[in-house]
Amino acid sequence: MNKHFPLGYDILHRFEGNPIITIEDIPFRCNTVFNGTVIKKGDEYFLLLRVEGQQGYSVFALARSKDGLHFTVEDEPVMTPARRGPFAKYETRGIEDPRITAIDGVYYVMYTAYSQYGTRIALAKTDDFHHYKRIALVSEPGNKDGILFPEKINGEYVRLDRPIGKGVGNMWVSYSKNLVDWGKSEILMTPRPGMWDSYRIGASVPPIKTEHGWLEIYHGVKMTVAGPIYRIGTVLLDLEQPHKVVARCNKPILSPREDYERIGDVGNVAFACGAVVENTGEIKVYYGAADTCICVATAEFENLIAITLNRKDA
Amino acid sequence: MPRKKQHDIIHRWEGNPVITMEDLSFQVSGICNAGAVKIDNIYLLLVTIETLRGHKKLYIARSEDGRYFDVDDKPFMAQADKKYEEIGVMDGRITPFEDTYYISYIAESHYGYRIRLAKTDDFKTVTRLGFVSEVDIKGGALFPEKINGRFARLERPWSGGRIWISYSEDLVYWGGSEVILSPRAGYWDPHRVGDAVPPIRVKDGRWLLIYYGIKDTSAGPLFRIGAVFLDADDPARVVSRTNIPILSPRERYERVGDIQNLVFSCGAILENENLLLYYGGSDSCICLGSTTIDRIDQECLKSKGEI
Repeated sequence: MNKHFPLGYDILHRFEGNPIITIEDIPFRCNTVFNGTVIKKGDEYFLLLRVEGQQGYSVFALARSKDGLHFTVEDEPVMTPARRGPFAKYETRGIEDPRITAIDGVYYVMYTAYSQYGTRIALAKTDDFHHYKRIALVSEPGNKDGILFPEKINGEYVRLDRPIGKGVGNMWVSYSKNLVDWGKSEILMTPRPGMWDSYRIGASVPPIKTEHGWLEIYHGVKMTVAGPIYRIGTVLLDLEQPHKVVARCNKPILSPREDYERIGDVGNVAFACGAVVENTGEIKVYYGAADTCICVATAEFENLIAITLNRKDA
Repeated sequence: MPRKKQHDIIHRWEGNPVITMEDLSFQVSGICNAGAVKIDNIYLLLVTIETLRGHKKLYIARSEDGRYFDVDDKPFMAQADKKYEEIGVMDGRITPFEDTYYISYIAESHYGYRIRLAKTDDFKTVTRLGFVSEVDIKGGALFPEKINGRFARLERPWSGGRIWISYSEDLVYWGGSEVILSPRAGYWDPHRVGDAVPPIRVKDGRWLLIYYGIKDTSAGPLFRIGAVFLDADDPARVVSRTNIPILSPRERYERVGDIQNLVFSCGAILENENLLLYYGGSDSCICLGSTTIDRIDQECLKSKGEI
């Protein structure tokens, strides 16, 4: 271990037992497991996992844990692509990248519906993480990485999204009165030329409310001759006008370095999609690595805020 | 209108092009893509003009016969929003709605292009409404009446190159998006399609949608115009589609210009059974063609292909 960085090179510290879930832990045959969203209910951690089947499309499986580090995956997927009804047409190629947000005691899952017509953001809700009621397809095609804020802001539901458009990966914010019809989209932030997030960015973790603003843990991509590098970064958004940036971290908080982040179906990927802030002041960030397994890393939450504010002493 | 060529279902006016840069009192880079409406026997076009600097603005042109137009000296709409209209406003489509007119247009900025709505009663003053689409979505033709109690619009998201429909209670929040028309491999419209003219109710209740189809060739895209009929009650359902384009670039003014091999329309006027289609030629001039609803319908009936 480097003497200047006794806790490692990255701002997030990896759990030494990483990866915490691999396909070895999945009771049914599959290709990979990655991009799981997390919620802590009472003393129990629930991870909703994206599991890619060997036929190539993804479903969601549920894993449970008492300590947030050691998980047991249930025997059957809990949500699979719709095969009849109005969602079927838009989920023919699978469902991907779920994010759970609790609003007033209801658990909402925003996920990506994928079909020949492109990717769209879809919304479902659940009470028990086993049964999911689909609400609506809420975006136009070409959009993904939709994440709900955990409360209404000025009377409106708010989401982050990432319309890819002509290949420009910017993050936007959209608003709704009823979770079904959306509008008033505003640009939030763009990739930064010359930096670690110079190619594309997208929302990763449901925003966490702090006194300095909404903390959003996002993914930033740099394109290289050998392909993309996916890293994890942070930004603080205005509490009242969440399409305005308060502060954006100059540095990624985690970069692919370990073998399990470098080697897999998509190498050099660390892609967060859930986090839990513990009473102890620690934040656990769950992330998919190399599109092949699930990992966890931690930091002092206050330190993460200080880093995001680009304080030199952080 | 005398026929000049019989290759196309749309017959070109022999006096084409209707408006060129020569007709303007000021220097511009190009002129194209007009919305169209007839109000009190005046034919009114909302034309897209590209300035020498490269910005786009909407100008009004008026005519008493639909053939000879006078273009205003000052733009009707120019960039008004610093963030999302920085590069310009273009492709104004006019939809008469009850006792007012909605204009849907494309706002372009460094963040991409989006659909925005505006409203006018008299084409003298205009009120801008909100940006109504996500980014990199074009088209944006509003239906001239509510569909099952909701506003409806057509649009062309860049992703997939298809025509979609979306609905709204209030013109602010939109949802219920559904794909309605896709490109067809092996046809004249194999790579991208998009809504051109705002939908027109025909006598039996069906909606006529004039759309554009793109074929990418080794020398660049070929933009042509086709037609579909949408179900009277559920316009998300296509009931018939022409196998062939109703207008293809052939004349010099359609072949030669800033974007060669392009015919592209944002507006048409229905006079009795006669459809006057105003279309841009090679992104450099405005032209006029005409046909009848029945002629398009006959072509749709003949087409047994994929819809």
